[in-house]
Amino acid sequence: MPMRIWKTDTPERLVIERRLHVHKHKLELDRTKCVGCELCSLICPREAITVKVPEKNGSEGPRKPVIDVDEEKCQFCGICNCICPFGAIKVLKDGQPIIPVAESESFPRLLREVVVDVSKCPPGCKECEDACPLGLIKVSVVGPDGRELSLEEAKAYPRPEELKVNVEIDLDGCPGCRLCELKCPEGAIRAVKVIHGSIRINTDLCPEGCKDCVDVCPVPGTLTVGPDGKVVVNEVTCVYCGVCRLVCPVEEAIELTRTYIRHEPIKSGAWNKALEKLTSTVHLTRELVAKSMERGQEVVEKRLGWIIARSGS
Amino acid sequence: MEEPEEIRIGVFVCHCGLNIAGVVDVEEVTEYAKTLPGVVHAEHNPYTCSEPGQKAIKEAIKKYRLNRVVVASCSPRMHEPTFRQVIQEAGLNPYLLEMANIREHCSWCHSHEPREATEKAKDLVRMAVAKARHLRPLKPIEVPVTNRALVIGGGIAGISAALNLAEMGYKVYLVDRYESIGGHMAQLDKTFPTLDCSICIEGPLMVDVARHPNIELITYAEVKEVEGYVGNFKVKVEKKPRYVDESKCTGCGECRDACPIEVPNDWDMFLGVRKAIDVPFDQAVPLVYRIDRDHCIECYKCVEACGPREAIDFSQQPEELTLEVGAIIVATGYDIYLPYDDPRYGYGKYDNVITALEMERLHVAAGPTKGVIRRASDGKVPKSVAFIQCVGSRDVTRFPYCSGICCMYSIKNAVLLKEKHPETEVYILYTDMRTNYKGYEEFYNRAKELGIKFIRIDLEKRQILEDPKTKNLIIRAETEEGKTIELEVEMVVLASAMVPKAGTKDLARVLGLSVGPNGFFMEAHPKLRPIETLVDGIFIAGCCQGPKDIQFSVAQGAAAAVKAAEILSKKALEIEPLVAAVDEVRCRGCGRCEEVCEFGAIKVLEENGRLVARVNEALCKGCGACSVRCPTGAIKVRNFGPEQIRAQAIAAIRR
Repeated sequence: MPMRIWKTDTPERLVIERRLHVHKHKLELDRTKCVGCELCSLICPREAITVKVPEKNGSEGPRKPVIDVDEEKCQFCGICNCICPFGAIKVLKDGQPIIPVAESESFPRLLREVVVDVSKCPPGCKECEDACPLGLIKVSVVGPDGRELSLEEAKAYPRPEELKVNVEIDLDGCPGCRLCELKCPEGAIRAVKVIHGSIRINTDLCPEGCKDCVDVCPVPGTLTVGPDGKVVVNEVTCVYCGVCRLVCPVEEAIELTRTYIRHEPIKSGAWNKALEKLTSTVHLTRELVAKSMERGQEVVEKRLGWIIARSGS
Repeated sequence: MEEPEEIRIGVFVCHCGLNIAGVVDVEEVTEYAKTLPGVVHAEHNPYTCSEPGQKAIKEAIKKYRLNRVVVASCSPRMHEPTFRQVIQEAGLNPYLLEMANIREHCSWCHSHEPREATEKAKDLVRMAVAKARHLRPLKPIEVPVTNRALVIGGGIAGISAALNLAEMGYKVYLVDRYESIGGHMAQLDKTFPTLDCSICIEGPLMVDVARHPNIELITYAEVKEVEGYVGNFKVKVEKKPRYVDESKCTGCGECRDACPIEVPNDWDMFLGVRKAIDVPFDQAVPLVYRIDRDHCIECYKCVEACGPREAIDFSQQPEELTLEVGAIIVATGYDIYLPYDDPRYGYGKYDNVITALEMERLHVAAGPTKGVIRRASDGKVPKSVAFIQCVGSRDVTRFPYCSGICCMYSIKNAVLLKEKHPETEVYILYTDMRTNYKGYEEFYNRAKELGIKFIRIDLEKRQILEDPKTKNLIIRAETEEGKTIELEVEMVVLASAMVPKAGTKDLARVLGLSVGPNGFFMEAHPKLRPIETLVDGIFIAGCCQGPKDIQFSVAQGAAAAVKAAEILSKKALEIEPLVAAVDEVRCRGCGRCEEVCEFGAIKVLEENGRLVARVNEALCKGCGACSVRCPTGAIKVRNFGPEQIRAQAIAAIRR
């Protein structure tokens, strides 16, 4: 069978499938998870991904950017799969979710960290589940008999110490907005942002009555319209995805810089290139220096280990 | 014009057996010739080109003190060199010969009008005599020879040519566009009719090429420009960057294992994948990896894997080489037709319809399925397979010629399939089975004995449909008697046509070669000069000239090597002096001749403070375009100038 490529595009999902005689490669974009940020399109090595911001017409609804993937260019390497903070893109080989670049350590997976100390969780509380804007948290309570209890039952349970609380988090799609941590009344959750940076809005430049950025921001409460009608940023929950800057009609009204991306330790030119595009040359240099220091230390320890060991003893 | 001597012309009319004499009254022509001004002797002979005929000319030259000779016989393409030799042996300048073609132009084309044919023959003889009066003695031009050769294309024909030349002691540059030499033969599993493993018999030759001290292998490179002429070509070759240093790569393959990027494999006809840093196949020559920068993400995992060998070099740039050679052998091969545009076959639409070359890759042990024949739709071994012949070939709307090898390769693939999976039903749907050449008919019989079913169907009335559930294929075809047959099989293999290699026309332009109506390179003569082209010093071998199988490609490669050696073995070459010459006094250096010259043979140069046209005599073909264009009559083709042509033209209209 000669090579064939299919593309199916619906409002819910975009699927690209390449079929060879012996292999099937597939890329799935879950449009319900995709917020339309530009991260994947910035670093796609084949420049196969484009982001289109809908034209501004009137004032109806948020203008969520739309991702398109060029089926002729995509090579199913999985870099987009690795970088998507919201876990909206998946690549599959022969039906298996295999990310070729991650398998070969050519590109890092993002490090996502949300730690829950369930011992602090009062049964019946699901503040975190309610707080998660992406619906990634599921709280359940199990009784001593192994039966799952409803929250009301749990609350009313006479001996709460016998109950076991489970907090399941779908980490693959978690950008670390920390809303769960902030909303938790017991301080039981610690969430770490995947992308660090800074954001500032020059409200002087904002067009009268425009709140496009507020409409598209995936984390509620990060961008709000203040009492004076100006947009206010709450940096604590910002995930620095950059979709606000993408839809902003005024250039330089939103200043967003990413300084650090938490990722698996890796040595790869492709990652360096991505990092340069996502953050800046300065931050790339910083990471490279840190890496070479680490390596230098390793070499010193390896070569002079016996001296250190002797002086230490 | 000085005319120191009296013109004494001898006319020799040939019977050519009955070829001429059967129609034209040769006696009458001879008698007529005697009446023409300047003719002192005329005679007719049964075969002028034969030994007695040649002797008659020599004797007449002596006896009648002839100083011009007219032979009225066949085309000058046939025997002009023969008769030039004859008069030279009798002491005349060989260019004092003129021929009148009374065979092709009279007796053959007017065989039912002997009277008119005879009259026309007389006209032609009169014209030849008129021109002969104005012929001047000329000296052949000598050019030096560079005794190196260029072979373009490293398939089996090119390998054969290169090895033969190298063994004769000539330096050979072998240029291939692909990453490895080997060509299509290296893609095949087994060869018919002996079922030799293809790469096992070609591999050693490929290695010989790489090892031979007289061969310089230039792969992943393209011929960009060719200048010069026989014995002295200057060829510009662009070597594409591999991003891997050929001198450092050990071919270990560790970089391939580290590379994360999978690209559809062109070598496997896109059935499987290869890495972004890879060799097309394990026996590749040279065994040097190449990075596909279109797909590379520059993660540098290959650099890490290569380690201290440091063979990977991302800074490589295209490299231009200039080769100086005396002869060029073109062996660029063919492409296989992919019948996307023929809706009858459903190729590209139905999963289980493949071409024969794809089948070949499925058969190969190192192929995408490790030698197991699997369907694309479900990965199962098919229980029934039909081979359909003449796909694209013998189709007047596509490729009207017979590709010649498809009957045999389908039988071979069928036999291999039957041997691997005896329970599989195998059909060959053919229109005419062509199994000429040694051992082929026997192989066909062996296939029949193995239980392969041969069904004769119409060339045009055939249609493949797919059962959407089982992905099986239903073939509807008409038999010779007009009966419709229907056959359900699990896989269909199309015997698609051999077509000219992509880029053949561009290369033809670069080399100045002509391409025939089917898009293959044209030979100088289909029967007698199958290796030569109309450009001196450029030869063709293998499938770039037309479809043929391996043994003929090998033979043609060897033949081309001999033809090239014919040139390379000489210190200097003699070229026909029938080329343009410039009268420097008349030339104003306007450059119009330079503009019209198709062969780039004329350059206007500044000499002693004035512009003057100069002819590169080795490049000039003597077409005369410059002569017509010249406003002052300064440039003329020797012995084909206005003087000679005018005399001939006047003779044509004045009886």
